[in-house]
Amino acid sequence: MVTLKLEGIAKDFSDGRQLRRVLFPVDAEFVPEELTVLSGPSGSGKTTLLSIMGLVLRPSAGRMFLDGEEVTTLTDNQAAKIRLQRYGFVFQQPMLIEGLSVLENILLAFAVQGGRPPAGARQKAADLLQTLGLGDSIQVQPRLLSGGMKQRASIARALIKDPAILLCDEPTSALDAESGQAVMRILKRIAIDEARIVVVVSHDARVFPYADRLLKIENGAIVSDTREQVAASGEPQR
Amino acid sequence: MRSRTALRMVLHDRSSTAGALLGVVAIVFLVGQQLSLLFGLLNYMSVLVDHSGADAWVMSANLRNADAGSLVSGRYIDRIIGLPEVEWVEPVLIGNGLFRTTDGSFEPVRVVGTRRPRLAGGPWQFAQASERSLLDLESVTVDRLDLAKLGNPAVDLVTEIGGRRVRVRAVTDGARGFQGTLVFGSLDKIKEIARTPPGRYSAILVRFKDRADPQAMARLRAALPGCSVYRTEELSRLTRTYYLRNTGIGGSFGFSTVIAVLIGVVIISLTMYASVLGRARDFAVMRAIGGRRRDIAVVVVSEALIISGVGVFVGFLMLATLLNATRGSAIPSFFPGFVTPALATGTVLVSFLGSSIALRVALKADPASVFH
Repeated sequence: MVTLKLEGIAKDFSDGRQLRRVLFPVDAEFVPEELTVLSGPSGSGKTTLLSIMGLVLRPSAGRMFLDGEEVTTLTDNQAAKIRLQRYGFVFQQPMLIEGLSVLENILLAFAVQGGRPPAGARQKAADLLQTLGLGDSIQVQPRLLSGGMKQRASIARALIKDPAILLCDEPTSALDAESGQAVMRILKRIAIDEARIVVVVSHDARVFPYADRLLKIENGAIVSDTREQVAASGEPQR
Repeated sequence: MRSRTALRMVLHDRSSTAGALLGVVAIVFLVGQQLSLLFGLLNYMSVLVDHSGADAWVMSANLRNADAGSLVSGRYIDRIIGLPEVEWVEPVLIGNGLFRTTDGSFEPVRVVGTRRPRLAGGPWQFAQASERSLLDLESVTVDRLDLAKLGNPAVDLVTEIGGRRVRVRAVTDGARGFQGTLVFGSLDKIKEIARTPPGRYSAILVRFKDRADPQAMARLRAALPGCSVYRTEELSRLTRTYYLRNTGIGGSFGFSTVIAVLIGVVIISLTMYASVLGRARDFAVMRAIGGRRRDIAVVVVSEALIISGVGVFVGFLMLATLLNATRGSAIPSFFPGFVTPALATGTVLVSFLGSSIALRVALKADPASVFH
């Protein structure tokens, strides 16, 4: 069972003249079968924390462990390899690459470090798109899809490698209510049924009912961690 | 998958692809056209030497190029023919004259006299008639490319050069010199036209029995201490080098070639830079989902390779069309075989140079930026 553990993770940014701390030391542990929502006002540091958890941003202090192995001091290439093998990302904007079909965008997640996608990847991508309601859009260019369809395609891209950890940055903010609900239902199912760590950054209150755990961040510090309360609210849907 | 991604990006970003392609095509076409012109002119510079059929040229001492020798004594002919390595010896006389055109005006021509019946140093390719028609004393040739300039003289037309009666008996094909129109005639007739002293010649051509014998040239040089003795290819190179250095042609062509390359590089740089800027987010996404810097480099370099490959193909296609269209015209053009791979390789390298700025931008793509 995969675990992601943060110990005193902090982040400073410099504007060239002075150092500014945007994330104060955070201790947290993330486990599978749980959809965690990181919530907080704009500029609170939630995206910074997500970036550090995703190994795309180095912390200024603290240590991070993936399955007990420290991943804080990895080189660029080592971090890229772990991202490739163990992480899936869903961004605020779908960020599909124009010029590549939906299928090629998804397969790129397999072969971004070169080579060919493994045998069966094509079929798996097709099945995944079918599941996400994009069965008819496999060869379609991203520009021809609606915002919701693009976001579902980007979820497919994140899931194609069966990542142990799925990090989502405001995945519903660019979507209408119906599409947003659909995306959250998918993420919830992935967390529970497929036993993955799913962390969603959002300040959209409509997302909270899907959370098994709600981490609130304000001014760069975690101000509440309410696993039980959310579960007890009876709202989470599967 | 990375090169496939590059291909998709190239096909999708049509405007920037077209811009970069234009740069590559400009390099191939402009540089290729300049080179064909330069090599065409180089051929003109040493045309008589290159087509002489001789192994060695004997000319006056302290020679700087094949067109600038003073006359040498015919007595050397006997001395040369006495060498056991020599198969034949033929004198050549080169001078200037005014060709009387059909409308009565005059055109300056370069007259070349060769000895019958071998006619060594004479014309090598004919558009009308043949070298046999030059065996008459007063026969001369004119070149196909100079016909209009000379008033379109018909074969068998009687006219005069340098006030001496001549009869046009053949039309050569491509016999043009760097110094203008070439008219071939018999040694005796050209001697009359050029009014040279008896027994003196512009050059003496020598053919060895064993053309590969390295001693033959040394023996010939030793026998003629007061003359310039060159292998044909040496004299050709000397003449070309002289004109390249002393007429400004080399510098002029070099300059225009550099300008053409610079224009191409600037176009490639700007368009690829703009293209990569437009793709910065995509490269950041690729980095975030597990791509390394080197994977981004492979994509950008593949893009440059695809564009330069297609550009080189299109450029050569246009160049070939131009060269075919001007073949046989008065425009000097010649494209040696080694130029094509050299130009293609050079263009691809220059394209990479042009894409290097874009590559630097692409490599700076920050995976963390996708979370903002």
